Amino acid sequence: MYREKLLQQLELLREQLPGVTPYYAIKAFPNEDVLKILADAGACFDVASTGEIDMLQRLNISGRRTIHTHPIKKDSEIKAALRGGSTTFVVDNAEELHKLLPYRQRIGLLLRVSFRSKSARVDLSRKFGCAPEQVVEIIGEASTLGIPVRGLSFHVGSQSMAPDAHVSAIDHCAGLISEIEQHSGRPMNVLDIGGGFPVDYAGTGIDYASYFEPIRDILAESLPDHIEVIAEPGRFLVARAVTAIASVAGKARRGGYQWYYLDDGVYGSYSGQLFDHAVYPLQILNDSMPRESSILAGPTCDSIDVIAEDIALPELNEGDLVIGHMMGAYTYATATRFNSLSGAQIVVI
Amino acid sequence: MKLFTETLYDAFGQTFRIDKVYFENKTEHQHLMIFHNTVLGRVMVLDGVVQTTEKDEFIYHEMMAHVPLLAHGKARQVLIIGGGDGGMLREVLKHNAIEQATMVEIDAAVIEMAKQYLPNHSQGAFDDPRANIVIADGMDFVRETALRFDVIISDSTDPIGPGEILFSEDFYAHCRRILNQGGVLATQNGVAFFQLDEVTTTAKRLSQHFSDTAFYSAAIPTYFGGIMTFAWGCNDQAVRNVDVQTLQHRYTASGIHTRYYTPEIHKASFALPKYIIDAFDGKTA
Repeated sequence: MYREKLLQQLELLREQLPGVTPYYAIKAFPNEDVLKILADAGACFDVASTGEIDMLQRLNISGRRTIHTHPIKKDSEIKAALRGGSTTFVVDNAEELHKLLPYRQRIGLLLRVSFRSKSARVDLSRKFGCAPEQVVEIIGEASTLGIPVRGLSFHVGSQSMAPDAHVSAIDHCAGLISEIEQHSGRPMNVLDIGGGFPVDYAGTGIDYASYFEPIRDILAESLPDHIEVIAEPGRFLVARAVTAIASVAGKARRGGYQWYYLDDGVYGSYSGQLFDHAVYPLQILNDSMPRESSILAGPTCDSIDVIAEDIALPELNEGDLVIGHMMGAYTYATATRFNSLSGAQIVVI
Repeated sequence: MKLFTETLYDAFGQTFRIDKVYFENKTEHQHLMIFHNTVLGRVMVLDGVVQTTEKDEFIYHEMMAHVPLLAHGKARQVLIIGGGDGGMLREVLKHNAIEQATMVEIDAAVIEMAKQYLPNHSQGAFDDPRANIVIADGMDFVRETALRFDVIISDSTDPIGPGEILFSEDFYAHCRRILNQGGVLATQNGVAFFQLDEVTTTAKRLSQHFSDTAFYSAAIPTYFGGIMTFAWGCNDQAVRNVDVQTLQHRYTASGIHTRYYTPEIHKASFALPKYIIDAFDGKTA
């Protein structure tokens, strides 16, 4: 994990979205060093579980710098969040409001609204979020119950390659906020624009200035000054900051292909290939010729544990390194303990 | 400059300067910190919420101990639930008539920590031969004990966290069972202005088991937000209605010295603002 790259990404986001407070989505790469570096740089945190809150507490990062973003929580998780000092909660349905009722005098809410996105690789709007038409009703219910609502949140999805989804959601939310404020006679104070900002896995280059410009513009145009805008970047901050290093454990020739078996695979750091639908740029520290069609497989006994099929590689030997770039987001986070393998060790440089 | 901001409420909170951290510990169950603040002295914080400070702890401990003890007038056996810092034990044992004060603390480490880092709270009370220190879960203790008490003081943490069970109807029922005739249960019940639901909930649960349920109050500056309420449960209304002259006699006879408590304050503390009376009656604001 490269401290410098992590801070560069934070700086890039701050440059591109000035005035927007980043809440790092801990789930993307739940690592204490990352949290420390980001906390020292002034970032806040998006927590979604008791375990994530515990990590912050161990590091003495105040719960006041968090929002709890999981729309569905057990009572024990609400209590643990409050004890961890996390007092702003996200809800997306009336059931959940009633679970928060016993704590209404201590908390603030963000209502998560769902806007379906066509350009995101991972659609997050199906599982969570209320329909825009339900917003007024749910806020009315919260008001009846005496639970203060601070604002709205949305997630356009992950790795959203075009800014249109953010732009349209912000525009829509601005309208809703104004409608709610008129209706209730009380100001809201937060719009949470989620995450989903893309990173460059394909190596084709992303023009961030053009990407963020329409988002900046719509924020400036549509939102009144009293609304604080926050975001929940996860992938955007950590993807580039982590490089995974695996080594060749053995090799075999099967079915006309050269197979290389590595000490890390899709049950480990490369789990994002399954869960996150990601393909990471790979690098071999050996540019010798000739190359032949090869397969890179992981260390577990499962046949699904294949990192790359049919790629042209020079001849590798036991101990040779295979480098995976852009491997910070949803990699180590979703790695399993399958085969009782110990998993990658994280080193900060 | 290091600051600590309380995390009790989403929309506001009090902030303290940390002059020096004396102790900090994150266990599986709780996050504890004791630090020095130039105005407040040593401040103990649990899970982001101020528990006690050297400067204003006397108000809380005097009002929770002396109000039930002097209203009762003949208390010999006292039970303290929680109170690991020793401040409550100190106030209870000031009364020469007390034969035994049993203190039930769930975590032995809290007592050791308090002896070392908050010695002004206990002021040697743990070494008093009348102190009976039991390390146990408060709920288990009241459920199982064969002892009987004249006064029970529940010096618990907030209802969110390990102290939750000490606000349950079950706990109140067992307290009633182990109280002698005319015995009193007093519990801390939060800052009513910002935690009014707790008044409603406690009143409802307590009145299931005590014919005389009431609240009294005191303002403790670092329990931010105005007056804190203490819940009162007893099966003899005469205990609460003791007149001020009787309290004065008892106060003088007890030989205790106080900095907040007076018999007049005692009587007056049962007078409540209307919004609390309404919450008590189950009317929501």
